[in-house]
Amino acid sequence: MKRFIIHVDMDAFFAAVEQRDRPELRGKPVVVGAPPDRRGVISAASYEARKFGIRSAMPSRTAFQKCPHAVFLPVNFKRYEEVSSQIREIFLKNTPFVQPISLDEAFLDLTHKAVDLEQAIHIAQRIKEDIYKKTKLTCSVGVAPNKFLAKIASDLQKPNGFLVVREEFKQAFLRPLPIRRIWGVGPVTEKFLKGKGFKTIRDLQECSKQELVHRIGSLAQSLYYLAHGEDDSPVQSNRQPKSMSRENTFERDVRDLEVLQGVLADLAVEVAKSLKEEDLKGKTITLKLRYENFETHTRQRTGKQYTDQAKVIQSVGQELLEQLWESKRAIRLIGLGVSHFATPEEEEPLQLQMELFPSPF
Amino acid sequence: MRIQCHKEEILSGIQQIQNVVSTRTTLPILSNVLIEADGENITLTTTDLEVGMQCKFPAKVSRPGTTTIPAKRFSSIIRELPKDELDLEVSDNHVASIKSGSSFFRIMGLAKDEFPKFPDFKGAASFQIEQPILRDMLRKTAYCVSHDETRYVLNGVYMVAKDNKIICVATDGRRLALSEKNVELPKDFSKEVIIPSKAVNELNRILEDDGTVKILIAENQIAFELNNCVLVSRLIDGHFPNYKQVIPEKVLQKVSIDKNDLEKAVKRAALLTTEKSNSVKFNFKKGKLVLDVNTPDLGESREELDIEFDGDEVSVAFNPQFVQDVLKNLNEDNVIIELIDELNPGVLRGEMDFLCVIMPMRMS
Repeated sequence: MKRFIIHVDMDAFFAAVEQRDRPELRGKPVVVGAPPDRRGVISAASYEARKFGIRSAMPSRTAFQKCPHAVFLPVNFKRYEEVSSQIREIFLKNTPFVQPISLDEAFLDLTHKAVDLEQAIHIAQRIKEDIYKKTKLTCSVGVAPNKFLAKIASDLQKPNGFLVVREEFKQAFLRPLPIRRIWGVGPVTEKFLKGKGFKTIRDLQECSKQELVHRIGSLAQSLYYLAHGEDDSPVQSNRQPKSMSRENTFERDVRDLEVLQGVLADLAVEVAKSLKEEDLKGKTITLKLRYENFETHTRQRTGKQYTDQAKVIQSVGQELLEQLWESKRAIRLIGLGVSHFATPEEEEPLQLQMELFPSPF
Repeated sequence: MRIQCHKEEILSGIQQIQNVVSTRTTLPILSNVLIEADGENITLTTTDLEVGMQCKFPAKVSRPGTTTIPAKRFSSIIRELPKDELDLEVSDNHVASIKSGSSFFRIMGLAKDEFPKFPDFKGAASFQIEQPILRDMLRKTAYCVSHDETRYVLNGVYMVAKDNKIICVATDGRRLALSEKNVELPKDFSKEVIIPSKAVNELNRILEDDGTVKILIAENQIAFELNNCVLVSRLIDGHFPNYKQVIPEKVLQKVSIDKNDLEKAVKRAALLTTEKSNSVKFNFKKGKLVLDVNTPDLGESREELDIEFDGDEVSVAFNPQFVQDVLKNLNEDNVIIELIDELNPGVLRGEMDFLCVIMPMRMS
């Protein structure tokens, strides 16, 4: 199936956020990361700083030697996370299929949203505009039939770029690029490939698969497809689970209320534990019963408050059991689950500090 | 440049001003202290571009001159010197040699060319106030300053000087402290400024038990002249919110409580609060105050205090830290608490010239 994948990459993100928030830094080389007099590397460099040869992951001391008058700032991670979540919100408004790579970079799959490439381009443009409107930050966007091409496309016109790679031109698009552009080709592989006479992607494209296997061995498989612009890796959206549940199938069918209650208590503890691990709280509690003939019934109750407490889950579970169980019917399986999770905004703290001033003042 | 002086004198000078040097900067000169020797005095200056400090003390200047040397390093060398007397000589290429008894140090300095000019307050409006009074006002308000950089107008102490009165106010949006003192001001003097918290903190360090401080206010800067020091600071540019609107005009209940007893009780009650469950419930009943803390998954505590209270029962939950901050900085033996109900701000007062408004916490 034809896919429409976009890759969005914020331009010099950490440095750009600093320059946005502190106008006096605009137009100046700004470097975010470890201080220049300490051991450590830089996390981001503004485009002004890049002119001096400063790159992210470079030791701060080296960066300082290259540009002593650059402004070195500590990493204000919390701030970048805030901005990043604003950006993520914009993504999620357009599609649930978002794969964040880091705070400043994500893949989006627009396949189900767009009927054709033109519409996908339109949505991608709107996302880029919305990001700028909301954050006053620019990003570079690549639109392509797969993740590999989208990532290269976003990178080629940085900053503030927008590049579309059409299916029919993907090989031509890749042809002049150095092999270093290919996913997984780092300095070591690059050296190896150059030693075998491969400099640009064209060199790879001109080889048959057999020839490639012959010349470079095990690397050939993935490089062959990538060099021809083929990549079927999916956009993996780590979406929150919709519910958290545990169930227990009895070795022998059970008719004893006390046994059921005991198992229910254990299930509640396990569900609560998983909820806490995922930092989730839900307000709907569901009980599931399967009778000996595989007939399955569920009943649920939605409370007013979100919970991750075993006690609460257990007591609601017990009430549901009393309502649902056609008593004395033998039970084969019992399950307990929590769903309807709180979004961070909904999850009110137990105690809320009130504000003095009607905001915004 | 060459000077001879007493270790204690130069040490107390550098220690007063060394906090405002900038540590993370690409302008290395801002980590340095500017040393100027002229006539019979030495002047030391530091700045981080927001706050600047300068102090002056007598010394034997055998060759006048100026230089800058790394402040923290200089300070620690002086502190450890073995003898009371020291000899500081700086060559024309800004290499400083320090001799004291059997010790010798040589450190690299920088020319003063790039060192920012210390601001001039010629013609600025000014007034004087007793140092202990200003210190008391700042101490009673500074803990309410907000550290939320997105609300930058709250990142300092708001000071209003007019009608022969000084008012200092600080708030973080949840509580607000106000201190007010009568002071003789020049005729028709009227200024309001927001002093950044860094300047307030440094000022608090150098204010003493006696003597006056001269406060000079220019367009966007403020200066404090006291003892042998000057502290200058940029002012926060913006409008401080109308603090009067959050001070309740009519309260329903009013009670006076022994400050020490309350402070200890709140401190104990707070032992069972957590970051997520951070409130102490103040239950005012006939003749007693009961402090309740109930933290899920942790436990509960209860404190009872006998008080003279005869009003309607009322329960309000407060962040205990907010209450403790007030009590800690109060001079009086008793604190007056004024309340309306559990959703309206409570007011803690000392004498007439201080109050702190605290917004309650809402329990679900």
